[in-house]
Amino acid sequence: MKVTQKTEEYIESIYKLEQKDSIVKPSILAGDLSISQASVTEMVKKLSDDGMVTQSREGGIRLTPKGARSAARVVRRHRLSERLLTDIIGIPFEEAHEEACKFEHVISPEVERNLERALSNPETCPHGNPIPDIHGKTKDVPSDRLSTLKPKQKGVIEKITEEGRDFLKYLATLGLMPQMEVEVEQVAPFDGPLLIKVNGANYAIGREVASKIWVKKVS
Amino acid sequence: MSVSCHGAVNKLKKDVKFTIALAGNPNVGKSSIFNQLTGMGVVTANYPGKTVELNMAISHVHDMAVGIIDLPGTYALGGISEDQWVARQGILDGKPDVIIVILDATNLLRNLYLLLQFMDLTIPIVVALNLSDQAEKMGINIDENAISHLLGIEVVKTVATRGTGVHELLDRAVDLASKNVKYKPGVLDYGKFIEDLISEISSEIDGLKICLPYGLSSRSLAILYLEGDSEFIKFVGSNDPQGRVLKIVDGYEERFNVSSQLLNLNIVRERHRNAAEISRKVQKFRTQNKLMSQQIWRLTTSASTGIPILLGVLAAVFSFMFYVGNLLAGLFGKLWQISVSPVLDIVSTFLFKDTIFKKIFEWGFDAGILAALSVGIPYVFTFYFLLALLEDTGYLNSVAFLMDKVMHKIGLHGRAIIPMVAGAGCSVPAIIGTRVLNTKRERFLASTLIVLIPCSARTAVIMGAVSLFVGWQWAVAVFAISLLVVAFSGFFLNKIMPGQSRGLVMEMFPFRAPSIRSIFKKTWFRFKDFIVVALPIILVGSAVLGLLYETGWIWYLSKPLAPVVQWWLGLPAIAGLTLIFAVLRKELALQLLVALAIIQFGAGAANLLNFMTKEQIFIYAIVNTIYLPCIASFAALSKELGWRQAVAISLFTISTAVLIGGLMHRLILYFNLL
Repeated sequence: MKVTQKTEEYIESIYKLEQKDSIVKPSILAGDLSISQASVTEMVKKLSDDGMVTQSREGGIRLTPKGARSAARVVRRHRLSERLLTDIIGIPFEEAHEEACKFEHVISPEVERNLERALSNPETCPHGNPIPDIHGKTKDVPSDRLSTLKPKQKGVIEKITEEGRDFLKYLATLGLMPQMEVEVEQVAPFDGPLLIKVNGANYAIGREVASKIWVKKVS
Repeated sequence: MSVSCHGAVNKLKKDVKFTIALAGNPNVGKSSIFNQLTGMGVVTANYPGKTVELNMAISHVHDMAVGIIDLPGTYALGGISEDQWVARQGILDGKPDVIIVILDATNLLRNLYLLLQFMDLTIPIVVALNLSDQAEKMGINIDENAISHLLGIEVVKTVATRGTGVHELLDRAVDLASKNVKYKPGVLDYGKFIEDLISEISSEIDGLKICLPYGLSSRSLAILYLEGDSEFIKFVGSNDPQGRVLKIVDGYEERFNVSSQLLNLNIVRERHRNAAEISRKVQKFRTQNKLMSQQIWRLTTSASTGIPILLGVLAAVFSFMFYVGNLLAGLFGKLWQISVSPVLDIVSTFLFKDTIFKKIFEWGFDAGILAALSVGIPYVFTFYFLLALLEDTGYLNSVAFLMDKVMHKIGLHGRAIIPMVAGAGCSVPAIIGTRVLNTKRERFLASTLIVLIPCSARTAVIMGAVSLFVGWQWAVAVFAISLLVVAFSGFFLNKIMPGQSRGLVMEMFPFRAPSIRSIFKKTWFRFKDFIVVALPIILVGSAVLGLLYETGWIWYLSKPLAPVVQWWLGLPAIAGLTLIFAVLRKELALQLLVALAIIQFGAGAANLLNFMTKEQIFIYAIVNTIYLPCIASFAALSKELGWRQAVAISLFTISTAVLIGGLMHRLILYFNLL
C-alpha cells in the first residue's frame, strides 16, 4: 500500500498527541490538524480500514503497531529535516518546523539514511525531541533543570514547575515558556545566578527560578 | 510631586490638539526621545497607590500644541506588574491619537513583542527604530521599509541621544493623528485555533451591542479576554449576563482538552512566533561584531574578574568623593568667606543694626547657606553624579548579577542591590524603589537595610567631618562599621522573619557609552530636589538654632540629653541637640555644628577641631550615620510599610546607634586610638 501524504500527516499527529499522554479524540485531532471534525471522522475510518489505527467505543484513537512504526518514520524524517535545516542550511530554530513539514513527505529511504550520516547521527531534533531510529524506536531524552547547565550549553524548555500564574505569564512574555530555546551564557561565582539568552535578549535569573525550568539539552 | 493621573491627563488633553503616547521596553532611549520632543514644564503624575509615574508635557509642531505622554518602560502590557499596569492605564485613560512605539534596533526580536501587543489595541502606531547607529556598529542591518511593509506601520530610524530622526518621527505621528495619512495596520495571525476562538468571541461581543471600553474593537477585547486580563474578563462578565463568552471558551477547553492558562500562553507563544518571523525577514547580520561593550560586560560579570572590578569601582567612587568632594568643600568655604560673608554682614547690619536679629539672620543666611553649599554641592552633587554614571553605563546590572548570592544571605536577591545602592544617594527614593521587589517580606528587609546605609547626606557628614578633620582611614571606618551593621541586621532579620525570597529575573542590558548630557540632567534633577527641599529646612533650622543659642536656651534644652550624650557617648551636650535637629535632614547635624563653630569662633573657624576632639567627631558621625535618617524617610517607611513597622525600624536604628556609639567611645578610649 502506498502511504499518502495525507495519511502521513494524520498518523504523525496521532503519534505526537499520544506522546503527550492525552487520549486522542477526533476533536483534538481536528484542532491539531486545523481541519473540520467531519473530515477527521471520515479519515479515521479509512485509516482503521488500512490497519493503521483502532478506535475505541468512546472515540479514542490509537495507533496500531504497524501505524506506530510508519508514524515514527515520518517523525524521524521530520526531525532529521529540521536538523538539516538548522544545522546546515541555517534556517532559524523557530522556522525549521514548518519547512520540515514539507520535507518529511518527500525524503526517500536512501536520502534518509545518507542524511542521518551527514548529520552524524543526531539524537534529538533542534527542539530537543528524540529522533526515532530506523525501526521506529526512540530513546527518551531526560530533561534537566536549567540550573544544572554549564555556560554555552543550550536547551529547549520542556516545562516550568512554577505555580504562580502571574509569574509564569511574566516569564512567558520574556520568552521563557515551553518550546523556547535558552542558552546559558554565564554562571555567577559562588553558585550565583545564571546569565541566560532567550529570544535574543539576556537575563539574569536566580538559581531558584532556574531550577524550576526544565529543559532538554540540545547540542 | 504627586498629581492624580486622571486629572493631569484631562488637563493636558484640554490644552492640546493631539495627544501622542511614547511606549517601549525599558532602556530603549524613550526618555531621550521624550526630552528631545519636549522642553520645560514636564508634569509628573501618579495613579493612587502606584509609584510608577507618567510624565506629560506639551510639544509644538508647526504652531500646533501636541501633548506627549511618556509611558513607563515595560516588556508587555497587562496587569502583572505595576509598570505594565500604569502603561496600559495611561493609554486607556489618555486615549492618545497616536502611539509612538520605540524599538531598540540592537534587539529587535525581543522588542517586537510589545509592538505586536500594541497592534492589537487598534490605536494608530508609528514606530521609532532607535539606537540604529549602535545596531549598525554591531553589524545588524534592519530594513525599516520591510517592517513598514509587513506591518502597515510607518517606521522612522532614530538616534535619540543625538536627536537624529526625532522630529521626523513627530511629524509622522502628527500626520497620522490629523488623519492626513491613512492607517492600515496588518492584522496579526494567531494561528487557526486561536483565530477561530477570537472570531467566535468577538462576534459574540458584537452581538451584546454594548459600548466597548476605551474605544477597543471587539477583536481587541477578545484577545485581551483570552490573554486572561482580569480587568477585561470582569468587563465582559458583567456585560454578558448569560455568560455566552465564557461558554465559548469552556467549550473550547472541553473539546480540545486545554486549560485556559494554556490558551493565554498560546497567545503569548504566537506573538513570539510572529516576532521571530518578522525579525528574521527584516534583519541581516553582516558579521557578529563583538563589541567592546560586550567584552566589558563579560569581564564585569565573570567570577575571576568581576569581583576585583567591583572592589576597584567602589574604591574609585570613594576616593573620587574624598578628593573631589574635599577639594570642592574647601573651595566653596573660601569663596564664600571672601565674597558673600562680607556682603551679608553689611546687609544684616543695615537691616537689624546690632540687635539679636542680626545674629539670627547671620545664623540662617550666612552660616546656613554656607553649610548647605559646603556639604550639599561637594558631596551630594558629586555622589548623584557618580550614581547616574554607574546607572547609565549599565554597570549596576553587573553588580546585581554578581551580588545575587550574597544578597540571598540577607534574605534578598540581586535586584535589591539597585535600590540599596540608590539608598547611598537618598533613602526616600530607595525605599520607594523597593517596590521592584516581589514580596512584602523582601520590601521590609530591604527598607530596613536602606535606612541603615549611609545616604549622601550622611556621607556628606562623614566626609565633611571625619575625613576632613580626623583622617580618611577613620571615614572608611565609619563606612565599614555601618556596612557591618547592615550585614548583621540583614542576616539577623532574615533568620527571624518567616518566609523566603522569590527569585531573580532581570534583563541584563549591554554596556553603553553614557551620554554626558543625560548624566548631568539626571544629576541636576536629583540635586534640584535636594536644593528645593533642603535649603529652606536648613535656613529655618539654623535660624531656630541661632535663636536658641543667642538667647541661651540651648544650654537649657540640652541638659536632659546630657546623660546619654555626655556620659554614654562622650560628646558635648550641644552636639546631641544638633543630632536631634538632624531628624529634619541628616546633613543638618554637621551644618548646624559648623554653624555653631562659625558663630563661636568666627567665619575662619569652620574648623570643628576648635569645638570637638577627633574622637568626638568620629563618634558623632557614627551615631548620626546609624540612627533613623530623617523625617522624610520615616514618612516613606510608613507609607510603604505602615506606621507600626516604621516605628519599629526607627527604634531599632536609634538604639543600635546609641549602643554602638557608646561602645566605640569606650573602645577608643581604652586602647587610646585617637
